[in-house]
Amino acid sequence: MTQTTRRQFLASSAILAGSFALPLRALAQEGPIKIGTLTPLTGAGGPYGPVMADTVKAVVAGVNAAGGVLGRQVEVISEDDQTNPEAGVRAARKLIDVDGVSAIMGTWASSVTTAVAPLCWESGTMLTTVSGADSITLLPHEGYIVRTQPNTILQGRKFGEFTVELGAGKVFFMSPQTPFADSQFSEITKVVEAAGGSTAKLIYDDKKPTYRSEVDELMAFEPDVVVLGGYMPDTTVLLKDIYRAGYEGKMLAFAYSVNQKLVDALPAEVVEGIYTIAPSPAEGSAAYKALTELTGIAAPDPYTTQIFDQVNMVLMAIAAAGDASGSAIRDSFRTVSQGDGKPVHTALEGLEAIAAGEAVNYDGASGPCDFTEEGDILDCQFRYEQVKDGAFTLLKIA
Amino acid sequence: MLSYVIFSLTTAGIYGLLALSLNLIWGGAGMVNLGLAGFFAVGAYASAILSLAGVPVPLAILAACVVGAATGIGATWATVRLRGDYLAIVTLGFAEVVRLVAMNERWLTNGTDGLPGIPAPLKSVLGPQGFAVFYLCLVLAILGAVFFLLRRLDLSPFGRVLKAIREDQDLAGFAGKNAMRVKLIAFACSAGIAGLAGALYAHYQSYISPDHFQPLLTIYIFLAVTSGGVGRPAGAFLGAFLVILFLEGTRFLGHLLPGLSSGQVAASREMLVGLAFLLVLHLRPQGILPERIRPAPRSQP
Repeated sequence: MTQTTRRQFLASSAILAGSFALPLRALAQEGPIKIGTLTPLTGAGGPYGPVMADTVKAVVAGVNAAGGVLGRQVEVISEDDQTNPEAGVRAARKLIDVDGVSAIMGTWASSVTTAVAPLCWESGTMLTTVSGADSITLLPHEGYIVRTQPNTILQGRKFGEFTVELGAGKVFFMSPQTPFADSQFSEITKVVEAAGGSTAKLIYDDKKPTYRSEVDELMAFEPDVVVLGGYMPDTTVLLKDIYRAGYEGKMLAFAYSVNQKLVDALPAEVVEGIYTIAPSPAEGSAAYKALTELTGIAAPDPYTTQIFDQVNMVLMAIAAAGDASGSAIRDSFRTVSQGDGKPVHTALEGLEAIAAGEAVNYDGASGPCDFTEEGDILDCQFRYEQVKDGAFTLLKIA
Repeated sequence: MLSYVIFSLTTAGIYGLLALSLNLIWGGAGMVNLGLAGFFAVGAYASAILSLAGVPVPLAILAACVVGAATGIGATWATVRLRGDYLAIVTLGFAEVVRLVAMNERWLTNGTDGLPGIPAPLKSVLGPQGFAVFYLCLVLAILGAVFFLLRRLDLSPFGRVLKAIREDQDLAGFAGKNAMRVKLIAFACSAGIAGLAGALYAHYQSYISPDHFQPLLTIYIFLAVTSGGVGRPAGAFLGAFLVILFLEGTRFLGHLLPGLSSGQVAASREMLVGLAFLLVLHLRPQGILPERIRPAPRSQP
């Protein structure tokens, strides 16, 4: 008796498992075009991910209302990477194997992107990301990865160019141990040395209560510009010691470390005149305006502007290729993102032009969105500000 | 769909090894090890670094067990006088230390960038699909072997001494048992199994980073062992598969709840995990397969 039931159980569960697989396979061919978002809805990236996922859904709703892509409706499936590579891989497997998405958009933490990337290139799924680590585009990804976040090399170059612009001959770089300290310094050095200057680097421990000896080293170098590569807590301590030592040159820092909170916490004379740099969305561009109208958010964060661009380009790449597969998106991605085509700023505009047989060049809310072979953006705008009387004054966006 | 099921079962198998590891030390000896993710990380990094340096994968996995066990002995030496809550806190600290070392010792672990391209055994021969099936069989075979060894251990005199120590260490010492030595061996075995799980995970995913080893993983395994039944290997085994079934199954509930944004669906998933844990503890605190304590043999009159 027990023998039969076990057999029956095995047989019926096999049939059940099979019946799960069959209709899904069939649907993937005929039904809507499926694309996925894999953003951090919980965990450290929790403040950003939900808005990102909702933005993609809003863009796709607009495209569907206008008739979809290639005459098919588009379906968005959103999963949570929990800002954790282990959970991110499980979510990506579900998106790829169960839903059969042809593109995954919006991975945020660099570790999640690196963990998910092999699944994508093995299954021929496009991956667009907002992670910044240099190593990501160096993976053997066969063109399946594109990122809209400037990598640290580009950021380092901008720092270098700005120090030269400030007239610096000698640049001193101070930073705690971060994944980007080395590449940032080498890019600054490249630019400064090309302009005839010299640089020096000091890596410090970010938990120290005082930086007297580090500042002594700084003073001995007699720099024209000090570049601060740290985070807010250590930069706060460091700035006090630099002021105490009587340093009178210029200082340049990331806008995320020298922010309003830091300026409020320190005496005005300590922070007076510090320059800051941050990657800037293309405020004032047509795509940026379209994004604010679509989401109702007056000042969307950089990640939202980036995923808005990603979904627009993915949808246009599908239309341009005439095929919704991941490899088709990969092959036609750069034909819609760059080139001599008609400049377009939303998927709706682009899809119309592509349907009319025109070539398009997408200019996005995060920047011009032109990519190298490796999948890095070529250029992006940065926001330059200076602390004056305890407030940030915009110098330029360039 | 099929490859997703294969993937989920493989992950469940690796969770199962971790659950067996925790069950041995927590269910067996009564030592709370909140540093499970740390031993998992040590095994993963050991095997990854060795195989990237050219050591054959089977040898690297074996070495990961040994390194895991050695780390376990080290951690036990440091905590030998601690019990209960104090031990739990120190082991939690141990896991954080491992994560910080992995983050900062760039020459060894490549820091926060992590180690990509860890060799996957036979993947080039079998192709992605064949590899997935092969690895599932491998993980299940290893899980089965560890399970039967631990069941043997559970029924052996050594297992009884462990449980005696769990109930009353002083009494066990009074009965002539060297509690320290037994605890040390048990902790080493447990850490070795966690290291083995880490190595299997590293070669399966081909990428590890410090972010992989957050304390959340330890919580999932505690959930598995508690719901399955503390003190019984079969319980831990079952619990691990239930946890994966639950974690993955709740993904599909989001579509059934209309009108929720993606952020709200993700939050409800986390709430469901918490709720399930509460319900298990409330309705069946001994777990689904509770520990069986065999009555002492009746003495002859």
